[in-house]
Amino acid sequence: MSNHGHDEETKVRVDFKEVNRDIFSVMTDTGPRYYVVMALFAMAAVGLFILPWAYQIYNGQGVTGLNVPVVWGVYLVNFVFWVGVAHAGTLISAMLFITKTPWRRAIARSAESMTLLALFLVTLFIFIHMGRPWNFYWTFPYPNQRQLWLNFQSPIMFDVFAIGTYFTSSVVFLYFGMIPDFAALKHHATGWRKQLYSVLSVGWRGSDKEWHVHGKATMFFASFIMPLVVSVHSIVSWDFALSIVPGYTKTVFAPYFVTGALLSGFAGVITMLTLVRWAFPVTKKYITLMHYDRVGVFILVLSLTWSYLTGLEVFTGIYANTTYETEHLIYKLAVSPYIYLFSLMIFCNTVLPLILILKKVRKSTSAMFVMCLFIIVGMWLERYLIIPNSLSRKFLPYMWHDYMPTWVEGAITIGAFCAFVTMFMVMIKIAPIISPFEVKEDSGVPMEKGGH
Amino acid sequence: MVFGLFKYVDTMADAASKLKTEGIDDIRVFSPVPVDHEMDPVLGEKKNPLRFFTFFGGLSGLFFGALLVLTTAALYVLPRGGKPIWAAPPVLLVSYETTILFGVLMTYFGFLVLSGLIKNFYSTEEKICFPETMDDSFGLLINVRSDREEAVMKILKEFGASEVRTIAWE
Repeated sequence: MSNHGHDEETKVRVDFKEVNRDIFSVMTDTGPRYYVVMALFAMAAVGLFILPWAYQIYNGQGVTGLNVPVVWGVYLVNFVFWVGVAHAGTLISAMLFITKTPWRRAIARSAESMTLLALFLVTLFIFIHMGRPWNFYWTFPYPNQRQLWLNFQSPIMFDVFAIGTYFTSSVVFLYFGMIPDFAALKHHATGWRKQLYSVLSVGWRGSDKEWHVHGKATMFFASFIMPLVVSVHSIVSWDFALSIVPGYTKTVFAPYFVTGALLSGFAGVITMLTLVRWAFPVTKKYITLMHYDRVGVFILVLSLTWSYLTGLEVFTGIYANTTYETEHLIYKLAVSPYIYLFSLMIFCNTVLPLILILKKVRKSTSAMFVMCLFIIVGMWLERYLIIPNSLSRKFLPYMWHDYMPTWVEGAITIGAFCAFVTMFMVMIKIAPIISPFEVKEDSGVPMEKGGH
Repeated sequence: MVFGLFKYVDTMADAASKLKTEGIDDIRVFSPVPVDHEMDPVLGEKKNPLRFFTFFGGLSGLFFGALLVLTTAALYVLPRGGKPIWAAPPVLLVSYETTILFGVLMTYFGFLVLSGLIKNFYSTEEKICFPETMDDSFGLLINVRSDREEAVMKILKEFGASEVRTIAWE
């Protein structure tokens, strides 16, 4: 095989028995510091996410900065941002599976877990934004009291189907991949864990028939989920692009959003993996610098693509040469504070990632961690500069209105990050964030004649 | 029924090959990772109809999505400024998503059925489990008449099985 050397380089060499032991220890060996950190994040999530949301429900949407014409604000910025974060997990597990990229195995599970948790926040942000969350079922296609069905010609309805499908498929894909791992871990577990993993492993024994069907099903799942990833963020972008609002109505939005989503998603993966490596040194055996190197290359390519598309977005606005579009561009690119936010976004997403051209940087966990935090900030700003900003300069000047998020919106935004970290920390303790069987597979089966 | 435990996949494949030449066909493999690549040349490539589940799921999702949008638009007409009641984009987009959704769900259902996991709940024999093969060992489970068990055990030992035992089930 021509790429044999490449495959060898990316393999993680481990002893099979050791893998189960190591990964189980990550789930069960919990020091007091872990609980303290988790409790702090949980408290922050309650204080900054749950309570302000309850305050908003009690007092109404008037506590936010949303007002005509800026009716889409920070909540939808967060919605789009978290959909983006969700994308990398599926990309790593599905796209890299289909292209038979071996290094994906050790990091795919944690990335998939991130997808699930991010999608949970995505769903919440829709209801936070809409107000009256108890009417959530109004978005479902069922005949209501007026015997009218939902308007399927609205991109918002496309979103319901896209996000619903993405969430369901991600849950199935994540759980399905975990079945052999739950079966392996149930033999190490005791008490409630044993009972839980016995139920979740649905009688898996690792027979040749089971593995055969599992392999085929993984291929089908990956083949379904790959176009789904592209469609979901394209559809999210059409929430904006199918309107006639200056700043929204751009044909480039679908690839622009997908690229941005993957950029923020990969940054999110590196951030969380660095924290996992830091909290559980045993995982350094599996999540290696080689992973940072490979993901770093991805981030570099995505950053360059994103930068090109950003230039294209601005240029097509200028080229359109309509007063509405021009006013929007002036507001976004030349008016304080947005000129500073735009510059910061370009610094975070275009300038800073250029240093990834150096292998030394790609192989430095701390440099990658810091840079990914900047990218996360940059990608959040990108969505902010598109969503509320475009509405602030909507057509005629009598409609112009500056939007400023209130403390409620700010708190919920920060609280969402805390909720994400809390959920991830709980997930680490319940489900294996590194797949034992995939790591073993990566290592190669033991052979008496000729090593692995 | 005889069970043999191996540390190496190649020795297990050799043992399975020898058993096949002895006319024993009912051989099952238990492993912590997929070993199709190593065992299929010996035991023969398996076929399974999972693709039909996936295809049926995808196809039914396609029709479900298209019919949902088209029929509800026709039943509850919402005139929208001269726009068509039946428009292509919503039909394509919704049916695209439901194709994937139904395809994924049916693939999962097909996996549960074809891998025998649903059957495991109802069968005593299928509940036999080998924890060692979840860790670092590989196992062969050979279904033979009791009078041939001795010969099979001998072959397994000959090919380096670390442990050989007979399994009884109702």
